[in-house]
Amino acid sequence: MDDCLLKIDNLSCTREGVCRLKNISFSCNRGENMVFFGPEDSGMDTLVSFILDLDRDYEGSIYYRGRMLSEFDYTQGLKYKTGIGYLHGDYGLISNMTVEDNISLPLKYHSNLTVDEIKKVVNRAVDELNLDQCKKLRPIDLSRSEILRTAYARSIIMDPDLLIVEHAFEGQCPVNILSFTESLEKRAAHEGRSTFIVTYHPEQFIEQSDRFVMFYRGRIVFSGNRRDFLESDNKYLIQYKNVAPHGPMVIL
Amino acid sequence: MIEKGKIAVLVGRRALSTWEGIKHFHEYMLSILKSFKSFRYLRFRSIYSIAVNQTRFTGFDALPFVIFIALVIGATVIIQATTNLPKFGVEGFIGNLLVIIVARELGPLVTSLIVVSRSGSAIAAEIATQKWSREILSMEIIGIDTRLYIVFPRIVASILSIFSLIIIFDIVAFFGGYLISQSVVYIPTDIFIQNLLDSFSLIDLLATVIKSVIYGILVPLICCYYGFMPKSKFEIPIYVSHAVMRTLVIIFIINVVISAMFYF
Repeated sequence: MDDCLLKIDNLSCTREGVCRLKNISFSCNRGENMVFFGPEDSGMDTLVSFILDLDRDYEGSIYYRGRMLSEFDYTQGLKYKTGIGYLHGDYGLISNMTVEDNISLPLKYHSNLTVDEIKKVVNRAVDELNLDQCKKLRPIDLSRSEILRTAYARSIIMDPDLLIVEHAFEGQCPVNILSFTESLEKRAAHEGRSTFIVTYHPEQFIEQSDRFVMFYRGRIVFSGNRRDFLESDNKYLIQYKNVAPHGPMVIL
Repeated sequence: MIEKGKIAVLVGRRALSTWEGIKHFHEYMLSILKSFKSFRYLRFRSIYSIAVNQTRFTGFDALPFVIFIALVIGATVIIQATTNLPKFGVEGFIGNLLVIIVARELGPLVTSLIVVSRSGSAIAAEIATQKWSREILSMEIIGIDTRLYIVFPRIVASILSIFSLIIIFDIVAFFGGYLISQSVVYIPTDIFIQNLLDSFSLIDLLATVIKSVIYGILVPLICCYYGFMPKSKFEIPIYVSHAVMRTLVIIFIINVVISAMFYF
């Protein structure tokens, strides 16, 4: 269990009569990178909200480093979140803070670093992600790729064990986010750090990821490594990769 | 008969909705109290700039309005008092009247009215917008206790600002109003000041402190509550309006209760 970072055990959730998740089980070891994909309303967003401990209305168990999430008290729940970085498609930058302030927010709130030490760490992240020209600007003055890079910097500034990236690439120009994708690849190659990517385009993350998990209507319909993703004859996977209207998935 | 039935249904529905609202606000208060469990992990530097900015906006930036309105109200009260009190042979009580009307009641009420309409609406709108743009969610996922991080510095700033503004309001109303009123009626300065000092007591100061602390807590608390409520951007103006109106109603009620406690 020591190597196991996150373990999901028989997770189920029904809301307003609709099954959001059904008997989801998987585990992720330290350093392992996973891609979750599937059509809309497949349950990936619900799963992420449970992993982030934003909601405990589920059956089953989620273990983080061997400890059950539902047993965390109020302050333990807050501390748990410092070990997880989250980057979502709305980015959620604080609009009345500059790029520097946004990135340093987790450090100011959680760490014992001095002001100068925080500044050094933030400057390193700013240099790595080519944000130097806009570090004094507020989100309203930033381009789309600058917003993504700032939000990413904030999500990894505490060097979390697990980074969850949820639909953060949609609508981004691949040329403008090169520094971000390079940083993500570097992180993915790091042995002690795991990344979950939730996306509609799993083929873009073949090189970075170790496992691919496909969801459909709250169930896991495919799970496999890189080779399985490329070569499997799983009907759900084939329909998804080919963007075919007909197949085992009913797409409205 | 049908009309009475309809009225009964409307009244009943309103009463139920008010009761649900009170219960929901009670849960919100409990969540704020619960968030104090993480108070010892809260770093002063992370909320310092919020508290400073809020104090500047709520207190310092409201000064011109407060001074102007205090001048106008002070002048009005003094002019009315000095032109009408002699008709009843009680012109010697002008100081008492000023303390009773301005220091005890109008000062705290008008100041809190200015703070609610300026800062209360801004707080509710800011939080509602942050919630809609998922900034609040981002803070929660970073592990920030948003109840403590957002509400607490605003309460501290509000208490400091409201107390300072009430004192400034009272001073400007008394002396500024006195200066303006000299163009209409003449009152010797030494008599005016003596009258004021004789009328002002420790109970008045205590009542002012208690009102400023209570208003300082209530204004951001209620406005933050309504700020957290909208589920879509179209609901933001509705809840901002609720925040301002309901805070004002509560403040008027609390004002009556405190005045009754101290002066009845």
